[in-house]
Amino acid sequence: TQVSSIFRDAQRTTASHRKLVINLRKIHEACCYEPTSQKTKKTGAEEFDEDQFTYEFTRCVLRVMPVKKSETVGERAIRFIGFFLKHANEKDNELAPAGEDETGIMVETPSTRLTSHLMNTILPLLTAKEKFIRYRSTQLISHIINSLEAIDDDLFQLLRHGLLKRIHDKEAMVRVQAVLGLGRLAGNEADGEAEDSDDDSGAGLLEKLLELMQNDPSADVRRSLLVNLPILPSTLPFLLERARDQDAATRRALYSRLLPALGDFRHLSLSMREKLLRWGLRDRDENVRKAAGKLFRERWIEDCAGIAETGEDEVANGEAKAPNFEGLLELLERIDIVNSGVEGGVALEAMKGFWEGRPDYRDAVTFDDYFWDTLTAESVFMARSFNDFCLSDGKGRFEALIEEKMPEVTKLAFYLQRYITVLAEALRNAAAQELAEDEEEDDTVEQEFIVEQMLHIAQTVDYSDEVGRRKMFALLRQSLSLPDMPEEVTKLTIETLRGICAGDAAGEREFCSVVLEAVADVHDTIMDEPEFEDANESFHSAKSEVSEDGSPGAPSKSSKKSELSEEEAREKAIREIMVNMKCLHIVQCMLENVEGNLQQNVDLVAMLNNLVVPAVRSHEAPVRERGLVCLGLCSLLDKSLAEENLTLFMHFFSKGHSALQITALQILTDILVQHGAHLLDSNPTLLKVYLKALKSGTKAPEVQAAATVAVAKLMLGRVISDASTSIDDLLKTLIVLYFDPSTAYNQGVRQTLSYFLPMYSYSRKDNQDRMRKVALDAMHKLFEVQETLDDEGEAEVDIISLNTIGAHLIDWTDPRKCYVPGNQLTLSDEGPKKAVNGDVHLYFARDLLERLGSNISRDEKKSLAPLLAKLYISPTSTETLIREVYEEISVAVDEKLIADA
Amino acid sequence: ATTAKARKDKEPFEIDFLLPLSANLAETIYTQASSNTVISLPKKDWKSKTKNLLPDDKHFNSKQLLRLFLKPKARMRSRRSGFG
Repeated sequence: TQVSSIFRDAQRTTASHRKLVINLRKIHEACCYEPTSQKTKKTGAEEFDEDQFTYEFTRCVLRVMPVKKSETVGERAIRFIGFFLKHANEKDNELAPAGEDETGIMVETPSTRLTSHLMNTILPLLTAKEKFIRYRSTQLISHIINSLEAIDDDLFQLLRHGLLKRIHDKEAMVRVQAVLGLGRLAGNEADGEAEDSDDDSGAGLLEKLLELMQNDPSADVRRSLLVNLPILPSTLPFLLERARDQDAATRRALYSRLLPALGDFRHLSLSMREKLLRWGLRDRDENVRKAAGKLFRERWIEDCAGIAETGEDEVANGEAKAPNFEGLLELLERIDIVNSGVEGGVALEAMKGFWEGRPDYRDAVTFDDYFWDTLTAESVFMARSFNDFCLSDGKGRFEALIEEKMPEVTKLAFYLQRYITVLAEALRNAAAQELAEDEEEDDTVEQEFIVEQMLHIAQTVDYSDEVGRRKMFALLRQSLSLPDMPEEVTKLTIETLRGICAGDAAGEREFCSVVLEAVADVHDTIMDEPEFEDANESFHSAKSEVSEDGSPGAPSKSSKKSELSEEEAREKAIREIMVNMKCLHIVQCMLENVEGNLQQNVDLVAMLNNLVVPAVRSHEAPVRERGLVCLGLCSLLDKSLAEENLTLFMHFFSKGHSALQITALQILTDILVQHGAHLLDSNPTLLKVYLKALKSGTKAPEVQAAATVAVAKLMLGRVISDASTSIDDLLKTLIVLYFDPSTAYNQGVRQTLSYFLPMYSYSRKDNQDRMRKVALDAMHKLFEVQETLDDEGEAEVDIISLNTIGAHLIDWTDPRKCYVPGNQLTLSDEGPKKAVNGDVHLYFARDLLERLGSNISRDEKKSLAPLLAKLYISPTSTETLIREVYEEISVAVDEKLIADA
Repeated sequence: ATTAKARKDKEPFEIDFLLPLSANLAETIYTQASSNTVISLPKKDWKSKTKNLLPDDKHFNSKQLLRLFLKPKARMRSRRSGFG
């Protein structure tokens, strides 16, 4: 009747809901209350009573239950029901005598009676067989829970119980709805926890939901929990954990919904802020990265800028607010810039996005003399990141900004000099007081950071101004000989120097000679300090002295002060090691920036003989290891040196600890890349090194990961030639490694290979053919691996099914996906893709048939046979080959080969 | 074909509230699942070993493949492969 026609209208649009609710309420009142006044307009419903209304209402609600999820009318109808019940309850409460409210007991009204009846009707439907019934009933109950202020206690328990059962429903859509209702309940219960904490099911609700958020296989369920659970100290860690959820939309929801809703980010711990920023800005998914960037430059900045300004009462149009650099500096402080702003830290990315997305700040920023006079870690990073941002845009859109805002070379050198002096001072003080307060420590760290950032800026400026160039050059040369400059500062100084010297061979010679001069200085300054060393001793002889008897406690120069105490002798030995380490570090940084031939540079040859070679022979492990890196770097510049030392590097690999093994592997790989693969072919042991390293998984996963990257590099760079005898073996090993359960926890290996294997296959036809060639061997190997695992009953690791492995192999060898030079295929080009020669898969088919005909186990055949169906047979393949394969297949079918398997 | 489909979409689904509950419908609504397990997720799926979290990203990319280990700033010599 009237009720049903109201429902009919309600499902069409939510816009009229308000009006319809009022109408329905009029009918409701007419049915339930005695007419209070004759003046009340007749609704035509007076002849019906409450029971009849309830019956009719419930009947309409029931009609909504079977509606499919995809139909929006169901959604609208349910919202209408919730809206009406809310409205009716409010009206009834207005009508109810006010005095009784204070007793805290819920007054029974027509609306509560209606609600109860309805809920009791719907509750059994929660366990209906039909999934849409379960879906709608769960949705309705959750919606009503979220609409109503209060619900009768007994009924409440029933609803809660009913919903709780549904959190493990088979259908994700039902679970989502259950969770929506329970999230609200969990919030209420957490509020009043003290009241009935002995009620074990009560306290457990939140825990259950948190557990669900971690474990539910459906991302929709996890996401609804993420945005609906109450934010409490106890739930927050679980919520934030979702920043690494497998589902990108859930991760994005965290950055775009939860975190902005969280309020001031400064309540988060320092390490949490850094993690959230890093995870978000480096996410695999672009949308997550965007959301994280937006969070940083729009929300977090306001948290800082807002407070520094007036406070809470700013209006919603946040755009209009003037840039607040105090706030920006605070923001940088709040993300611990001294730590997050180092190389590889996330702050640079964060600020790049900030300058990109905040033109207001970009335009307003100024760096005046006062700014440079009073640098802090935060302000210098602001300048550096601004400088980097302006340069990072390839189109030069912002170069004018640099011109306008950054100081010229001479001025920069002047300020840099000042801060280097301050740093040197601070370091000296710290050394003098050694065990002094942490404050000193913090101070040197900040000064160090400031110098580093300025050097980063110095690397980018234009040195065409000769006066400025000379000033900077002299300054850097001078600071390089300060022996206690920290390593990172030294490294950046050297890189800056390289940039100042010309790029050609002459410039490189100038660069080397000036750095090596500084090395000599460093050596002398430290040797000068104690009187017992002859200050006039030449650099070279001092070097050889160090390396000859560098062992601890071996007093050198018997001619000198023989009354050295043991204590002093030990100190001297330590000092010698330190000097040596410093010199080697400078040399290492220099060599990283040198490209010319070693033999043609006398300075480098002298350095090699006097510093590097003795270091490699040192008895001190740290000196030796650093010497090794330098020798490796030298070998990259000289082929014969590389050949001579190949055995030495391999020796370090087989005898060293895992970090040294990695270094040795990297040196060897770089040598191969630089000097060609024939070294690999002429040294069979070298190949063994790689194979051994690839199999070192259980002992040293890091070595295995490093080896994987190394081999991937060699193969993709075609350093290992197609003619090499080892290449098939290596490829096979890599495939096995990728799927081998033992590498499941070695993400370095897995992620490298998930990049490498398809890249390798699709990049060249020959590669794809090689992939095909080794595929079945690899598969056989994996089959064996899995069999032994099964025997041992190890279900701990997730085993990738052979079907999946096979599908990958088929996919990698798919001729349509291979890159063909001169035929730039895009994914949309269906035409040329079809025309591709499909012989690879035909050969694959042959290989498969051959296997199936061999005497491999029945189980293995079972996993191979289905692969035949997945191959792509192209009409443009070699005709004879198609025929041959067709015949082989026919024979196979005749012999029941496949049916057999 | 597309226009026909579009037209079909436009015809909105509506619930007919005026009709009484048919026996058929009532049956679907009131039929209970034979047991709780039939409509529930198998217990083994209640727990996820990974907590549905991603492993740490190693951020492996082509840049790393084109670089020397020891000289991260220098490019590898022009021994290019076909994928560039």
